[in-house]
Amino acid sequence: MAGQKAQGAGRKAQGKEQGAGREARGNEEGTRVKGRGDAGPSQSPAPCASSLAPSPLAPCTLRPAPCRIGVFVCDCGSNIAATVDVPAVVEDARKQAGVVHAEEGKWICSVDFLSRIQNAVKEQKLDRVVVACCTPRTHEPTFKATVKEAGLNPFLLEFVSIREQSSWVHKFDRPEATRVAKDLVKMGIAKARLLEPAECVRIPVGKEALVIGGGVSGMSAAVGLAEQGIKVVLVEKTDRLGGLLNGLDMLAPHTHSAEKLVSDLEQKVKGNPQIRLFLSTQVEDIKGYVGNYKVRISGQAEPFTISTIIAATGMEELRPSGFNYGAVPTVMTLLEFERKLKTGWNPGDVAFIGCVESRNEKRGCCNVGCMAGLQAASAVRTGFPQNKVGYFYPEISLEGTGVAAFEDAVRRHGLKLFRFADDAYPTVEKGAAGLIVTARDILSGPEVRFPANTVVLITGYKGTEEAPKLKGLLKVSSDNDGFFQEAHIKLRPLDFAAEGVYLCGCARSPKDVRTSIEEGMGAAMRALIPMNKGHVESEGIVSVIDLGNCSKCGLCAKVCPYNAIELVDKAPDVIQAICKGCGTCAAECPKDCIQIIHFTDEQIGAQVEEALKEDPGQKIVAFCCHWCALGAVDMAGVNRSEYPPNVRIIRVMCSGRVDAAWVRRALELKAAAVLIMGCEFPTCHYIDGNYKAEKRVERMIKSLGKKGLPADRIRTVWLSAADGPKFVATMKALAEELEL
Amino acid sequence: MLVVGGGIAGISVALNLAEYGAPVYLVDDTPSIGGLMARLDKTFPTNDCSICIQAPMMYEVKKKQNITLLTNTEVRRVEGSAPDFKVRLVQKPRFVDESKCKGCGKCAEACPVTVQDELDGRIGGKRKLVSIPFPQAVPNTYVVDNACRFGKKRADGACIGSCVVDCSQCRECQIAKCVVACRKEGAEAVLLWQKERIIDVRVRSIVIATGVDSYRPPEGPYGYGVFQNVLTNYQFERLMNAGGPMVGNIARPSDGKHPHRIAWIQCVGREAGAPVKYCSKVCCMIATKQSIIAKEHDPSVDAVILYNNLKAYGKGFYTFFRRAQEHGVRYVKGRPADVFENPETKALTIVFEDLDKGKVEELEVDILVLSTGLVPGTRTAKIAKALKLPLDEHGFIKEKDPICKPLETAVKGIYVCGGAGGPIDISESVSQAAAVSLKAISGGD
Repeated sequence: MAGQKAQGAGRKAQGKEQGAGREARGNEEGTRVKGRGDAGPSQSPAPCASSLAPSPLAPCTLRPAPCRIGVFVCDCGSNIAATVDVPAVVEDARKQAGVVHAEEGKWICSVDFLSRIQNAVKEQKLDRVVVACCTPRTHEPTFKATVKEAGLNPFLLEFVSIREQSSWVHKFDRPEATRVAKDLVKMGIAKARLLEPAECVRIPVGKEALVIGGGVSGMSAAVGLAEQGIKVVLVEKTDRLGGLLNGLDMLAPHTHSAEKLVSDLEQKVKGNPQIRLFLSTQVEDIKGYVGNYKVRISGQAEPFTISTIIAATGMEELRPSGFNYGAVPTVMTLLEFERKLKTGWNPGDVAFIGCVESRNEKRGCCNVGCMAGLQAASAVRTGFPQNKVGYFYPEISLEGTGVAAFEDAVRRHGLKLFRFADDAYPTVEKGAAGLIVTARDILSGPEVRFPANTVVLITGYKGTEEAPKLKGLLKVSSDNDGFFQEAHIKLRPLDFAAEGVYLCGCARSPKDVRTSIEEGMGAAMRALIPMNKGHVESEGIVSVIDLGNCSKCGLCAKVCPYNAIELVDKAPDVIQAICKGCGTCAAECPKDCIQIIHFTDEQIGAQVEEALKEDPGQKIVAFCCHWCALGAVDMAGVNRSEYPPNVRIIRVMCSGRVDAAWVRRALELKAAAVLIMGCEFPTCHYIDGNYKAEKRVERMIKSLGKKGLPADRIRTVWLSAADGPKFVATMKALAEELEL
Repeated sequence: MLVVGGGIAGISVALNLAEYGAPVYLVDDTPSIGGLMARLDKTFPTNDCSICIQAPMMYEVKKKQNITLLTNTEVRRVEGSAPDFKVRLVQKPRFVDESKCKGCGKCAEACPVTVQDELDGRIGGKRKLVSIPFPQAVPNTYVVDNACRFGKKRADGACIGSCVVDCSQCRECQIAKCVVACRKEGAEAVLLWQKERIIDVRVRSIVIATGVDSYRPPEGPYGYGVFQNVLTNYQFERLMNAGGPMVGNIARPSDGKHPHRIAWIQCVGREAGAPVKYCSKVCCMIATKQSIIAKEHDPSVDAVILYNNLKAYGKGFYTFFRRAQEHGVRYVKGRPADVFENPETKALTIVFEDLDKGKVEELEVDILVLSTGLVPGTRTAKIAKALKLPLDEHGFIKEKDPICKPLETAVKGIYVCGGAGGPIDISESVSQAAAVSLKAISGGD
């Protein structure tokens, strides 16, 4: 993009420059009003200004020069035109202030018509474009690219959805469908008048990475990065590489030697000049953000400049309670046993007890215990065929295709398997000659007493001790056991929510060796993407803070799910390149000094005003998130599901953006209802915007109710993208209840 | 780079590579990307709506400039070796021009014939002879049923009135209703005479992401295929899905009535002598998820899961299992012996041994769900043959060294990820996709 500027240290400079530019323009115009509520309607010169007075709202930018808006309304063959009176919509649009061109097209997304739009932009000197057609979810990129080619900033385009939101869902009511379409187009025009150009903001990302943890996962990540030319700082807290594998002998189910695997990887690490290895070293401090971290490690005076960070801190065994552990030295954990067995020690008869300190109310299955336990049990039988081995378990969790052969091998080793009930763990007591393990075997029925010399507790795991500190330094979250929380458990398993930090292996949750290696490579790939591109970039819809009115409360930084707001002497500063534009900071700001580009308070306010200009008592104003909720609206359209023509949808990126002031204004203008539509829990495109929206709506209902507004007319609906039917049902129920 | 398979693994690989800066061909032999995940209702252990979280990625694939998306396309032949593979791709005709179709659906509206959907037929799924695979399909392009073109759908009611089609007789069709409807819209996108297209590409590396299929049990055991109210977990998933044929109404196939008692039998297909010789990992959590959703639809539903060993191995899985228990889902360690149907009520009686109690019990339910595992996708064998890759004893792509060098096949420069390598869940597929992307760009072994 021509307007994209690569900036590093220049980010702040640009921020200032932008700010200065805005100031300058404001001064030039002489009308940029700061503060609350003093932009009354009387001050607004027609036609291109909007205000939401008397509600206290954010600064209003008033433009003296009338804008030149072009409106293009699509027939979509007959998909729109058969239901909506498109020529009437075009005529209505033409009458609106600022509109200098309005046109109907059979397929406005066809190649011919796109060039028609471009010609109109050039010939008529259009500075805003409104397209009214299908859905922004599929076609917005096409039109954005089109206006951009015509020399217009793509953020000066407003997309209006009249097919999914009108013609497809009000098929049998042409006058109403036409009215809805007219309203939606006018709302689009009202917003378009206030649109401002925006640019993608970049920050440069260099080619230096920090990998924390020298187990197989961290080593795999480091090697993967180094082989792609990345300079890697690998920090390991102990004095050797290998992590948990150092205590193990053979790896199930493929009987690889753990030692060989570690030494192979170690050679690759040590043989690669791109990797700087620091053993017996801890990370002391991390400051900054993607592309510009300053990392201090123990033993090094100078901090490293780092672009991306991978947390591969692994896990450690929990300390079991009960079973005479701690009191009798021959009761030990699996890893303690493995280490001892490796020295050639004869453990005598051994009883293994599975799922200790796991599969309970505190934590789940440890994922690796069954495999490792059965491997160790088999190793005892191989090394000491005369020793008896009893294996007590509540469940066996071996999965995948690789374990079938392993299961056979275990069976051949002649282990005595006893299955106990989930709520009846075996007891371990001191007997005359050694230990006695007692349990009821649910497979055979009777109580079993198994005499053993050694009892091995297959114990659950937790995150390592360095995890809590790292959690604070990286500003990420973790669960009760200290395992780090990924951005999304299904689709972003190796990313943290904040850009530039990644996680892999047992730092996430307990894993086998293979998966740890895979995740190490995977995290390396994720980190490589910005480093190879050389930058990270926002998509233009970002947060902008006007510090003039800021009370430095820090709430914005607290609610930002991406750590994109830094507090510099308590004053918030948006790192725009990593801001995703969800807008939860803007909704949260008690001083209304945060705006989201393309979704500013005044732009949305203009849409609210326009929607409620006529017959407000018949209209439901719906603030709808761009992702799942709009998906449900679109699906209702695709299914041609009819619903009452009372809703006017205003798109926001996230329900977390919905500001109390908008809701208040809609109620003041006597809207029949205000509906906040977000993603169905727990899904949110912005981590947890819908949760924040839900809480905010509760507060809104209380506070607006106190102000004497009909707060019972504020409603929420949380929809999945497949919830077309639920959306339709909601609209029907609401229309019926409100007697619309 | 060439990525074969457009499920969640293939999509993730393509996006990783494209964002890294490598040009990618993403090839899928069905009309839309999305794979198995696009058909699911929810994903465990969070109950995120599946298509909600996947669709943005699918649109992203469409948007990315360095991804060439080829749907309805197969890999015919591969020559050469890393880092220079010469690949011949064949794009099968969909009889609708992708560049002209606006996805408006007028063709389907005009089509006079409704047939049973292949996927959802048993639970009431229907489609027209020209249809779109699912509402969020990418590309958003319709497909004409090939059989219709040769008058082979007469039995279903095709070839009536003016809509008589026989493409073996003539080329430019003026009469088929879909063609006429599309032309009326001014689009001329329906091309019944469209030919297959041969595309030759040269790539550095190849990633196989052909995925898994849901195991279809034989008719007979547990009454599957015999009793109407016995479904596989995949069919039940489609039943629950608001985007599925029953728009999310859980209803008995026999009478459309709301079920009050639902049971799941785990490990179907793993019985002695049955074809699945391994644990598919995900079925325990699928049953847990389905039971929670059934309970959320109607808390009074009696939900029972008959299982052997609970596989709650992954992050958050055990908490999810406990959540099901809190919802009142009953987990019974039991070995089902047989299933009977009451011919009048169509209710099913399951006879099983409760291991904890140590005795044989009976349970009557309205719907019985068979938790079947994951088996190699049909296209996995095909691609393995085309690429001369060895398969493991179960039919998945064989890895060279599953512990130390995961995801590498026997051939240098060809890698595997996701369900093509074995049963796997979505999260693991996405992690593997990232790892395999690194392999693909480094090209080494």
